[in-house]
Amino acid sequence: MTQKLISIIILFSILLLSCTKLDEKLRGNLTAEQVGAGGGGGNVDALLKGVYNNMRGPFQGNEGVYALWEVTTDALLVPTRGPDWDDNGVFTQLHGLTFTGEHLFNRNLFNDLNGVVFAATEILRFNPTAQQAAEARFLRAMVSFMLYDGWDQLPYREPGASALEAPKVRLGAEALEYIMSELIAIIPDLPVGPNTKANKNAAKVLLMKCYLNKGTFANRAAPTFDAADMQKVITLADEVLAGGYTFSANYFDNFAPANTSIGKENIWVAENIGGVESGGIRSRYHSTLHYNQPPGGWNGFSTTTDFYNKFEPNDVRKGVAYPANDGDHPNPGNRVNVGFLAGQQYSLVTGEPLLSGDGKPGAPPLNYTPEVALIETGDNLEVTGVRVYKYAVDWQNEGTDLSDNDFVYFRLADVMLMKAEALVRTNAAAAALPIVNAIRANRGVTPLASVTLDNLLDERGRELYMEGWRRQDLIRFGKFLGPRQLKPQESDPKYLLFPISNQQIAANPNLVQNPGY
Amino acid sequence: MLSKRLLYVIFMPVFLLLSISLLAQDRVVTGKVTDSKDGTPVVGASVQPKGSTTGTSTSTDGSFRISVPSGINTLVVSSAEFERQEINITDKTTIDVSLVASTAGLSEVVVIGYGTARKKDLTGSVGSVSEKDFNKGTYTSADQLIQGKVAGVQITNNSGQPGGATSVKIRGNSAITGSGQPLYVVDGVPLDGRSPRPGAQDFGFGGSNPASNPLNFLNPSDIASVDVLKDASATAIYGSRAAYGVVLITTKKGKTGQTKIDFGASVGFSSVMRKIDILDAGQFRQALTYYGLSNTNDKGGNSDAFDEITQTGLVQNYNVGISGGNENAKYRFSLGALDQEGIVRKTGIKKYTADFSGQFKFLESKKLGLDLNIIPTHYTEDLAPISNNGGAEGSMIGQALQWNPTLPLKVKRANGADSLVNVGGTSIINPLGLSEAFNDQAKVTTILASISPYYKFTSWLEYRFLYSINYGTGTRRASIAPDINVAAFQGKGGAQIGQNELSTQQFTHTLNFNKEIANNLNLTAVAGFEYLNYSNKGFSLNAQGNTIPGGFGNFGLDYTNYIQYGNTTNRGINSFVDPSYELKSYFARAAFNYQDKYLVTGTFRADGSTKFGKNNKYGYFPSFALAWVLTKEDFFQIDFVNSLKIRGGWGKTGNQEFPSGAAQARYGLNGSGTTGSITQLNNENLDLKWQADRQFNIGLDITVLKNKISATVDYFNKRTTDLLFPSAPPQPAAPGAPIKWINLPGKIDNKGVEASVNAAIINQKDMSWDFGVNATFLKNNVSELLTPAGADIIIPTGTLSGQGSTGATVQQIRNGIPINGFVTREFLGFDKATGQANYTEDGNVFYYLGNPNPTTLLGLSTTFRYQKLTLTVNMNGAFGHKIYNETLNNIINVGSIKRGRNIALSVYENPVKESFANRVTNSSRFLEKGNYLKMTNATFSYNIGTLGKTFSGVNLYVTGQNLFVITKFSGFDPEVNVDKNVNGVPSVGIEYAPYPSARTITLGVNFSL
Repeated sequence: MTQKLISIIILFSILLLSCTKLDEKLRGNLTAEQVGAGGGGGNVDALLKGVYNNMRGPFQGNEGVYALWEVTTDALLVPTRGPDWDDNGVFTQLHGLTFTGEHLFNRNLFNDLNGVVFAATEILRFNPTAQQAAEARFLRAMVSFMLYDGWDQLPYREPGASALEAPKVRLGAEALEYIMSELIAIIPDLPVGPNTKANKNAAKVLLMKCYLNKGTFANRAAPTFDAADMQKVITLADEVLAGGYTFSANYFDNFAPANTSIGKENIWVAENIGGVESGGIRSRYHSTLHYNQPPGGWNGFSTTTDFYNKFEPNDVRKGVAYPANDGDHPNPGNRVNVGFLAGQQYSLVTGEPLLSGDGKPGAPPLNYTPEVALIETGDNLEVTGVRVYKYAVDWQNEGTDLSDNDFVYFRLADVMLMKAEALVRTNAAAAALPIVNAIRANRGVTPLASVTLDNLLDERGRELYMEGWRRQDLIRFGKFLGPRQLKPQESDPKYLLFPISNQQIAANPNLVQNPGY
Repeated sequence: MLSKRLLYVIFMPVFLLLSISLLAQDRVVTGKVTDSKDGTPVVGASVQPKGSTTGTSTSTDGSFRISVPSGINTLVVSSAEFERQEINITDKTTIDVSLVASTAGLSEVVVIGYGTARKKDLTGSVGSVSEKDFNKGTYTSADQLIQGKVAGVQITNNSGQPGGATSVKIRGNSAITGSGQPLYVVDGVPLDGRSPRPGAQDFGFGGSNPASNPLNFLNPSDIASVDVLKDASATAIYGSRAAYGVVLITTKKGKTGQTKIDFGASVGFSSVMRKIDILDAGQFRQALTYYGLSNTNDKGGNSDAFDEITQTGLVQNYNVGISGGNENAKYRFSLGALDQEGIVRKTGIKKYTADFSGQFKFLESKKLGLDLNIIPTHYTEDLAPISNNGGAEGSMIGQALQWNPTLPLKVKRANGADSLVNVGGTSIINPLGLSEAFNDQAKVTTILASISPYYKFTSWLEYRFLYSINYGTGTRRASIAPDINVAAFQGKGGAQIGQNELSTQQFTHTLNFNKEIANNLNLTAVAGFEYLNYSNKGFSLNAQGNTIPGGFGNFGLDYTNYIQYGNTTNRGINSFVDPSYELKSYFARAAFNYQDKYLVTGTFRADGSTKFGKNNKYGYFPSFALAWVLTKEDFFQIDFVNSLKIRGGWGKTGNQEFPSGAAQARYGLNGSGTTGSITQLNNENLDLKWQADRQFNIGLDITVLKNKISATVDYFNKRTTDLLFPSAPPQPAAPGAPIKWINLPGKIDNKGVEASVNAAIINQKDMSWDFGVNATFLKNNVSELLTPAGADIIIPTGTLSGQGSTGATVQQIRNGIPINGFVTREFLGFDKATGQANYTEDGNVFYYLGNPNPTTLLGLSTTFRYQKLTLTVNMNGAFGHKIYNETLNNIINVGSIKRGRNIALSVYENPVKESFANRVTNSSRFLEKGNYLKMTNATFSYNIGTLGKTFSGVNLYVTGQNLFVITKFSGFDPEVNVDKNVNGVPSVGIEYAPYPSARTITLGVNFSL
């Protein structure tokens, strides 16, 4: 009897357990079904916010677009300073154009930008409103444009496609066609503003860039410029310029902590809310300032002498004493504290000169010299190179790492200069002259007598430095590969494109390594 | 439904058995059991009629009285440390039994998965260490007890942190992801493998601490034995969790006899075992001149920052165990208290453990039994700001190594009080100041409880159920004061509270079969069903202090007591629950034994896991092994060989050490302004499955010279495929870090030979000398790691994190080299003129330049006894590998002295004056030979024996741990493994300013009442 009873108990308890299905429950996370169950609206807002946040890393940090689109040019370098900044050669490889498919930032940026493509595409399967869909597609178009500019290949998936399948790839002209058709399609559904979100004019600016660079993307080694494309640039520019943008009171207002309200030139920015949420924008000043220069820095990024010398002495864009947004940095000496920092540096509190080394009496002065080398080997390796940043220090929120400065994607002067360039490239340089001089007048420099491609490139350099366009500009103007200050040799044309990372070549058989790598 | 049908197949025999009933008529046999060596009575020996479920045990004078059912003519007499004997009692009512000590240990019973086996019946490779052979000294976790004791097993203390984790690698390294740790099973309860201690917050010097040992919850003095299942024929019964081996820990149980109370107490002192050579104040002054630096950095003093942050740690350990019982109810209850101060200020572990176990038999027939085991533990870890990944600001050990030795750490103020020197502004941080400013305490409470009723249907069939729950919760509170110049927290301070909860529930049903099924053919079999449910959840809170008036105020309270006082705009809250993780498994083992001569074992396990992708829910893991005892053959006529067995086995195992939820597309919910954001966390892979291992093993067990010398030699060949890997998915894919878990093609081969020899060189009444040595020779290779298109896959890991090395990695998993091979620049020496380092191809090409995996492991142990004095020495060593000295690379490099920080003595003594501008970059310059031989512990004990009528087994001892290490490695300890993983791909053998290792001298006493 006992045995029967026991046997029944045993069997019953086993059967009870064996009915367990091996279904994995996500608990703290959501499945796609749960995300969709929120119904068109609520959860899509959170998803869309996720995409805006995904844009922060690649655009605002100092290892993304900033590194690949600026450090590869004459405008910016990160010298190896003895114990600092070698980082396995990532920066010197960028500036010297010697990178390979193993380059860490190249791999990460390609992946991060494609992450935005993915997340924006996914939104489309959760019943977004027309505007939500248009915003997502705009963000996707923006990163696709950067991907196309950098790598010439756009891998893509349809919404909800299996992650196991190798994504198909849009190549070359097909990729640009796709981006442009997307932009044209979504402009009606995009809002007029605010400029912290995807908006109609932002889409038009991106479309301008597509037209302006179309002949360059088709043949980066020998760019061409179709008159009809240039006319599109001009037409679109006029539409944007009608949007009521004006010059800011101070050139650096566009990048200041309060730029949400005082940055009058900004067409599209990534919103950063001081102390609450922000991208890595503070790295713009931390990465360049010396350790001993408040708010303290990492002593890396510098510009070349040649680039620095492109500025006239009284060009406000070269740097100003910008008022601090707290009361603790009165800057008694009225020293330049945003823009280019050259020569002796001073305390913004006391006006005393700052020292390098350990900062103690007897240490050498903190005197940034214009001379700089890719790999510094001298005793003065801490202070070589003129330092540069545009986003004024957000002293109020410095402690939180969450700076208030909105990151600027598109700005009025860029639109004006693109229009001027389109005019020059359609033999209407005379019409370009007042546009360029309007900018110059506002920036405190003498008017040009005439606009040429050469001085237009320099003007773009002076106006838009560190804004992520230098690489594209140099390629479009045919100046990217040539010898320059710290890259004495003409570079192989393969460097007009970045390599597809070895990791992605391995992951997706549909990607083909760019020629030469 | 397959599972139901399977169940019927398994349990049909149960019904058949129900009709069987046994009739019995009993007779009484009495006798006495003695030790053959000196005739002393053997107390507590088990006496059992062969095949019966009941039995008795000998009393204090060795005598017994037992009723034997009619038809049974054999008594089985056994006792620990003696050879088991079967006595023919046909027509006898009185017998005297003389037991022979089992010097060769062949009659030892070893724990195998879901059962036990006599060592001589083993067909697989099992390393077994019982209490008397454990490492002596104060240990916090069970794995340390067998370091150097088992051939083929490499146990590395990752750092010297009390309670810190170890790396246990059984038969080489094949982990390209996860921990590579074996599965731990405590008294039949498999552990989660993680510690419930919450992770650290990043206070500016890296957010990763050395991990806590998941075995901390066990009191080493409660452990009776540790058995290591090494080859696949032994481990395959654990299926998809067994690929890295299985370690079975058995706790002490009560024994029949009078109630016995065992006490143990020890007190010890720990100090730094070995220091890194840096400049002292005098050398630093000379160096300033030598390097042509201004003497502003000669601060005139003479300090040793490393001495200031380290201390002599007091170690106290107390244990009491009460055990006893009779044949039908045995129990053991123990309490333990360990208070181990670390050798770094404000670190240590305090641990309180209890263990209750009981074995009960019920019913008149004694067929129903119940085993109980409850282990509650509470421990507190005090942690220092020593991180695995400190960047430019380093962490405390690095800061101490860098501290200017002419600069005092503290000065006397006018009022006579000490004031800490704050260099301020720069990233030079006073390590003593940091230690003062920083508090980090983790409290972990765990309970492991299991209850296992069983029922013997017949003498050869037993059903057993095991339910266990293993629950652990950890709270961690950390804070940093605003007066230390850690950039992100200076002037503000910070606080963090984290809490974690881990739990595992287990239901196991087994049916055990043990019968002579034909003449001289014995079958031992087990079949079972198991369900496991793991969960992990937690939350964390963090806040920075206010900028005005600066931090959390000076109330003399810990900031985590009132975290809400912090700055309201700069807070973080986070909570998580891991996706569910359940296992449903069916398993069986059959072992045939023909005449103790031919042994055949087959096992099978089917594991279903929620973690696997929908297309691969079940994994199947078979194994097969044979053994042949040559000495049982008539033709075997070599006299001095007492036993000789050849074993061969093959099996498949798996590994599923990847996060739950890895096969699904998951979306995470994040805080973001006022809207919140949802982002995809993971990419789906419906095909995701276990990592597969197949291993074959050929072994030989031999004892010679009257069992005085025993040896075991094994050749193993382990191949790991379907490598689990958090791959970068083809783009576009979910943004951020998300990865797609895949099974990569590729093979990791670990081949080798392991051998152990134990010799009882002298075995006399007054004197004995035992000597044991084990050695392992390993070869590792990675191959066929290719993309579908045939390109090599290269997986980088071993990330460096110091200043100037951001993002740099020094190890790769790739074809043609051992796993985690060092791939870096080839250093060619210095240019005498410029002081710059020269590299092959200017350092633009990286080469495979070193193997971090030892190719030879060595363990030595010896015990020498003369009368009442015993000396035991245990040593372990590893050879043939390289260690990357990132401490030298990134912390005490030449550039430091230019910034007023200290440098390594080796840099100063370099015949070439190294240029300050010599870039800090990774190269073979920092690869050092890792060969070492360490005196793990040595114990000298005096066995007083019985004192009066009260005390017995009185033993006084002094133990030294880590007494010396012979090595050329210039870091703290060649036994090091700082976690430098890249996206979960583990690193091996990198030193980066870790918690230094301790040398401990302990005085102790054991006695019984």
